Amino acid sequence: MSGALRYAAALGLAVMAALAGCTNDPYPAADAVEKILYQPFDDPPKTLDPQVAYSVVDHMVIGYVYDTLLGYHYLKRPFTLIPGMAEQVPEGRPVGGGRVAYRFRLRPDLRFQEDPCFSLSGAGARSRQVVADDIAFSLARVGDPAVGSPVLEALGKITGLVAFGKRIEERRKSDPAFAALRIDAQYRAAGPIEGIRVLGEREVEIVLDDAYPQILYWFAMPFTSPVPWEAVATYTGEGGADSFAEHPVGSGPFVLARYDKRSRIVLQRNEQWYGVLHPEWKAPAATYPSEGAPGDAEEGLLDPAYVGRPLPFLSRIELRREKEPIPTFTKFLQGYYDASGVIKESFDRVIQKGDLSPDMRTLGIHLARSVEPAISYLGFNMDDPVVGAKRGDRSRKLRQAMSLAIDSKEFLRLFANGRGIPAQTPLPPGIFGYDAEYANPFRQPDLERAAALLDEAGYPGGIDPSTGRPLHLTFDAGDTGAAALLQFQFYTSAWRRLGLDVEVAATSYNQFQDKVRRGAYQIFTWGWVADYPDPENFLFLLWSPMGRTHGGGPNTANYSNPRYDELFVRMKAMSDGPERLRVIDEMREILQQDRPWIENYYPERYALYHGWVENEKPAGLSLPTAKYLDIDAAERALLRVAWNEPITWPAYALLGLVVVVVAPGIVTFLRERQ
Amino acid sequence: MQPHVVSNVVVLSLVGGGLLALLRLRRSPLWREAGAELVRRRPVALAVVGVFVLLALLDSVRWQGGDAAAAGADAVARFEARSLVDRLFSDDFRERSYSAPLAAEEFYGNAPLRHPGRHVLGTDILGRDVLHLTLKGARVALLVGGFTSLIVIPLALLTGICAGYFGRRVDDAFFFVSSTLASMPGLLLLIALIIVLGRGPVQVCLALGVTSWVGFARVARGETLKLRELDFVHAARALGVSEGRILVRHILPNLAHLVIITFVLLFSGLVLSEATLSWLGIGIDGSWGQMIDQARDELSRDPIVWWNLAAASVALFGLVLSVNLVGDAVRDVLDPRTLRERR
Repeated sequence: MSGALRYAAALGLAVMAALAGCTNDPYPAADAVEKILYQPFDDPPKTLDPQVAYSVVDHMVIGYVYDTLLGYHYLKRPFTLIPGMAEQVPEGRPVGGGRVAYRFRLRPDLRFQEDPCFSLSGAGARSRQVVADDIAFSLARVGDPAVGSPVLEALGKITGLVAFGKRIEERRKSDPAFAALRIDAQYRAAGPIEGIRVLGEREVEIVLDDAYPQILYWFAMPFTSPVPWEAVATYTGEGGADSFAEHPVGSGPFVLARYDKRSRIVLQRNEQWYGVLHPEWKAPAATYPSEGAPGDAEEGLLDPAYVGRPLPFLSRIELRREKEPIPTFTKFLQGYYDASGVIKESFDRVIQKGDLSPDMRTLGIHLARSVEPAISYLGFNMDDPVVGAKRGDRSRKLRQAMSLAIDSKEFLRLFANGRGIPAQTPLPPGIFGYDAEYANPFRQPDLERAAALLDEAGYPGGIDPSTGRPLHLTFDAGDTGAAALLQFQFYTSAWRRLGLDVEVAATSYNQFQDKVRRGAYQIFTWGWVADYPDPENFLFLLWSPMGRTHGGGPNTANYSNPRYDELFVRMKAMSDGPERLRVIDEMREILQQDRPWIENYYPERYALYHGWVENEKPAGLSLPTAKYLDIDAAERALLRVAWNEPITWPAYALLGLVVVVVAPGIVTFLRERQ
Repeated sequence: MQPHVVSNVVVLSLVGGGLLALLRLRRSPLWREAGAELVRRRPVALAVVGVFVLLALLDSVRWQGGDAAAAGADAVARFEARSLVDRLFSDDFRERSYSAPLAAEEFYGNAPLRHPGRHVLGTDILGRDVLHLTLKGARVALLVGGFTSLIVIPLALLTGICAGYFGRRVDDAFFFVSSTLASMPGLLLLIALIIVLGRGPVQVCLALGVTSWVGFARVARGETLKLRELDFVHAARALGVSEGRILVRHILPNLAHLVIITFVLLFSGLVLSEATLSWLGIGIDGSWGQMIDQARDELSRDPIVWWNLAAASVALFGLVLSVNLVGDAVRDVLDPRTLRERR
């Protein structure tokens, strides 16, 4: 009997000891004082090949590992390009035949991160300088069909890039010996690309077939980042080698230190980055900016403690996989993530009357609101015999009436907690041509005017005279989920008030895409997120050569208006200024009357940051901004402890309960045995 | 002919047929006694099932035009066939968004409601009355259970009896088909069928039918194997009675109790299966399953929006439970053994 008691006492002591050292901290204790940014991610990255990667989570990693020739100013809005690895932002220079050339000059002493693959270019070499040939190599990869870059459409404007792709594909097919060559030898053997001229070790000229000023934005994205050919040649994914898509070798401010893409990704500060090697250059993309947008100074974004200091401030970025939003948010509140979005489930707890709730404020959390350069819209298939262009004025008035019936503000209130701005034109805030004062006369909900327009269109009270019943239309959707269905019902019930009988035809996304290919759709909803902050990137969604049904382009409305097309081509080649604004305004007028779209809303992002995060400014675009952030690790460590006081009494209570229940049993058992 | 007219004809003929059958059954003392016994055993469950059936019937009788619609804000409703249940609620009887049961103001934002205190079960995100939606769900549930049973039972009986009675090649073929179907994961097969057939009530019922007939067909086959060796069947065969007549006169009536038990078990199972399908986004519009699916993220809201889920779940639970109770009682009442015990 005394033996049993001794066991129980030992067990109790062990449990108490375990509880005393108990913590919910998911990170090693040694990391607590380091400047580490903790962020969650949801789906794992698909690829880390900079010429291929397109999704936000891919760019969350690549944006730091691969540096770009140009970058965006961290604070200024609308977005402004600044030089990155290039010494300055080049100007277009006409070179005859409508062609335009851009000359990039690289900074000296740019280095790739250390990697064993460089032994290909010199025995024992661990790294080497970034040269103009690397830019040419990356652009050639964009043109190479075997790489499968999604941006060839835009970068194909570089003279000879598409032809190069065709050439290399044919030679690979016809000549097995060629296909077996190392990748750099293949590119050399396939012949030079006319529009990419390497003028020296540090200078490269890009020639475009026609004027396309937006090309510069592509040089602020990882698609054009220099890639060492040694890495592509080494990491083929064959014969036990890593795949290049999983083993990036770049020249950016951080290097990939660990890549368990289903659980944990670690980015470590790159000691070879030019900003770290040469802080004396005060390079714009490697120094904290000294000027910003109006209001930034009040927000504390121009703190003299940071202005002019070399980047990055962080020593490490830790990305952890989180599949469920609620636990992620809880960990944020416990201090284990530094930033978070506002999840729908806790919205009313976090945001009250359009601002942070007092609870959140006492935690020292601050809220950053930003309208994303994106739009969600409802579109009409302009090829359709009823709602489309063929019926001329009649269908135009129908579209105008339907546009007047949709109350986007109410929609946002119901489905997005009011996060978003009712859209008036295809151009969201932050994009040149956006006008906060402009109110589209057909986007102010007005059922009476809508009814009058329907009358004029020949559908009095929504009645189709040919059947004597309400005009029957279909809303084609590629989502059968109940949550999406409710949103579609919001639109259809608005139109029902006009007397239009709009049926929701919800199918799977694949079936919907098939319908779109066949042109068998009437009304749809779609969205667009900017690749780069230029009006061209939105207005091309209605340019007729981009027509979906005929050309497979993103103009799902199949909108075609000669005047609009003409203006678009003019606007595309212009640089920002009053002239361009005038053209954009005329395009806006055309869309306002024609209504191929019902512009629904520009989504707004609410981001929460803990008080120990310094210098945060949300960008909307998925830009690698963490190099500007700083962390007060000491404050974070203190608050984490204070917020995660373990509550131990339930464990003791449970233990006590177990003793009370089990002890008599043991006693009885022992007595019986005796 | 317009769909609502077809639906009305079907409903009226169902009601007529049911009444006729009842009248005929009342003449037979056995059935009359069984009926009385059933009412005595399970009065509440019977009443609940009765209410659901009545609701479904009321919701199936539809016609165009009428009084309430003319005044409503919904200009299309005037041209749509609206059922008796719809006519209990005017088109205007909706709010802008969520409101709690019997609340006087909106759930978010505290704006006053148009019909304060009159939404017994509150309103959903689009401001529709939850009581109205719940009542309409009864028709969908009974349609799924009833129509699918109408597909499953004859199909299963035909195949099962033939396989059991004729044996050999017929049996081999039956076993091949049924084993193949039974070896596929039911839910995957359902999803695949609905993708092929498309979405819609009839398609869902067909898909459910295809995936659920095998079980009963096997039971019917087993029972037939036993029955065909019994003396009265041998006697009939010796007397030269044709095969068809034996099947109809001797085998089929002896399977009747199995049909009733299967119907009840199948019915509740099908209603639940439809809820699962709705949860996957491929169910029937307006079903309780869909309401539950829509309520999915309402549960994690803070403060919680519970009335949608609660209304649909209670209705679903009430129907399935009372059908099961009634089914149990029917089996007991019709079973000769328990009949003897009662006496």
